[in-house]
Amino acid sequence: MRMTRYLPYVLGAALAALFPLFSGAYLEQVAVGMLIYLTLALSWDMLLRSGQLGFGTAGFFGLGSYAAILLFLNVGVHPFVSIAFGGVVAGVVALLVGLAVLRLRGMYFAITTLALAGIFAVVLRNFPGLTGGSEGRMLPNCIYAGNTTKIYWLVLALAVFTIVISEVFERTRIRLALTSIRNDERVAKSSGVNVFKYLVFVFAVTSAIQGLAGGTYAHVFGFVSPEGSFSANFLLLPLAMALLGGVHSTWGPVVGGLVLGALSEYLKLQIPYGHLLVYGAIIVVVTLFLPQGLMGTVRAWWRRSHVTRGAQ
Amino acid sequence: MLAVAKLNHYYGKAHVLRDVSLDVGTESVGVFGPNGAGKTTLVHAIVGLVRPRSGDVTFDGRSLLRLPTHEVIRSGVALVPQERELFPYMSVRANLESGAAYIPGARKDLPAALQASFEMFPILKVRARQLAGTLSGGEQRMLAIARAMMSSPKLLILDEPSLGLQPSLVTELFHKVRNLGERSAILMAEQNVRQSLKAVGRGYVIENGQIALEGPSDELLRNDHVRRAYLGL
Repeated sequence: MRMTRYLPYVLGAALAALFPLFSGAYLEQVAVGMLIYLTLALSWDMLLRSGQLGFGTAGFFGLGSYAAILLFLNVGVHPFVSIAFGGVVAGVVALLVGLAVLRLRGMYFAITTLALAGIFAVVLRNFPGLTGGSEGRMLPNCIYAGNTTKIYWLVLALAVFTIVISEVFERTRIRLALTSIRNDERVAKSSGVNVFKYLVFVFAVTSAIQGLAGGTYAHVFGFVSPEGSFSANFLLLPLAMALLGGVHSTWGPVVGGLVLGALSEYLKLQIPYGHLLVYGAIIVVVTLFLPQGLMGTVRAWWRRSHVTRGAQ
Repeated sequence: MLAVAKLNHYYGKAHVLRDVSLDVGTESVGVFGPNGAGKTTLVHAIVGLVRPRSGDVTFDGRSLLRLPTHEVIRSGVALVPQERELFPYMSVRANLESGAAYIPGARKDLPAALQASFEMFPILKVRARQLAGTLSGGEQRMLAIARAMMSSPKLLILDEPSLGLQPSLVTELFHKVRNLGERSAILMAEQNVRQSLKAVGRGYVIENGQIALEGPSDELLRNDHVRRAYLGL
């Protein structure tokens, strides 16, 4: 029983780990991009489970990128240490910012977090001595000297780490707290949930993950710049992935990330300048016809077929 | 156990609580009054959902006024809010669990408390896996009360539990409330004076934010003002 229960996870992990054995450098490169976006999609969804629509993803991603690269260039630590530092900086900044902005709700919270990317980018641009100003900074060498297989494993580790954190959130008391806050904050308070503490906690954790993703991304591609590192793509693509896969669960954003990541790469080859149009169309169609996302639709179908079988 | 002393609260310029004082020992106490009298504001002031301008609320000798709501709840007060009292997109079971999961002392007794809820409201066991939002109005109210009792509170506060229920359910509800009085002290805000007076031992009548009358239930039942204004006699 226990064995069969974990079998899909073990198989999935093994398949993901062994992927480089039967793929070339090109597919590995594609997978690296997909996994980074998947990590962001999952972290965005983890905050959404508490009912808070956060638009700070790109901001904390860029902050993590800069923190990692600047520490690496100026102090000369191991890349892993600098990536971890990127996560810590993003987490700590989110904690401090969260103490203030998590008093806001709904659109006000969303807009304020959206502004973070802009603020971080402006601040960093205005310390050219340290950050390279609007030029940004380049690494002399990418991590692992650009070896795509090793890079793939690194990014895979990041994605798996995020999945594990997300599952911990789903399987402990944190889940009940976040779900109850999303359902009705006043009732959550009346059940003894420390609403503010949980929101600050989850905001800091998810932002730290985004910082880790940023640090990793910066080491993989070897540069940071205000426009590149804080690009709205690091907010919009993950958001689309989570919506496509289905929000409020671990596997929705994961599946959405894999499907949309693969699809957009394929479309890029088919219609080089029009793939974003198709991309947008997919999002419109999904919101109209699969509002629960892919996983939500599968789950509803599964439940229905089981109920019918039970009735016979 | 609970002492409210000279509470004053304003919404803008409207003076909605005027020197309200009341006490709850270990018995069941009702707060009666028409719409807009200040019953819900009083309840919210006790649990910290609104901050009164002056006065004090003490529970077991400790002031609740500066405490955030979740701390008040953890100190042994449970609240059944007026309407919107559940998490509609969570299962009945998860709703019940949320009543005890965040109360440090109640967590380890969760299975026993769940059992007690199902004994008190058997329908909840049948519905355990359904989403709370799919229950009927009466079942939802029962669930809200059961959830509040999950933490074995010292004081249970009910804010208009009979609101929106059909008459036969109202009778059943107050019957349950009377039984609950054996397990905890109760403070119940109600408009349905006729029926809820049978469920409590003592009551306060609140009008325009002031305590207009107080006394044991049977005394209130005989009072001319109560009979004319609330019982239609």
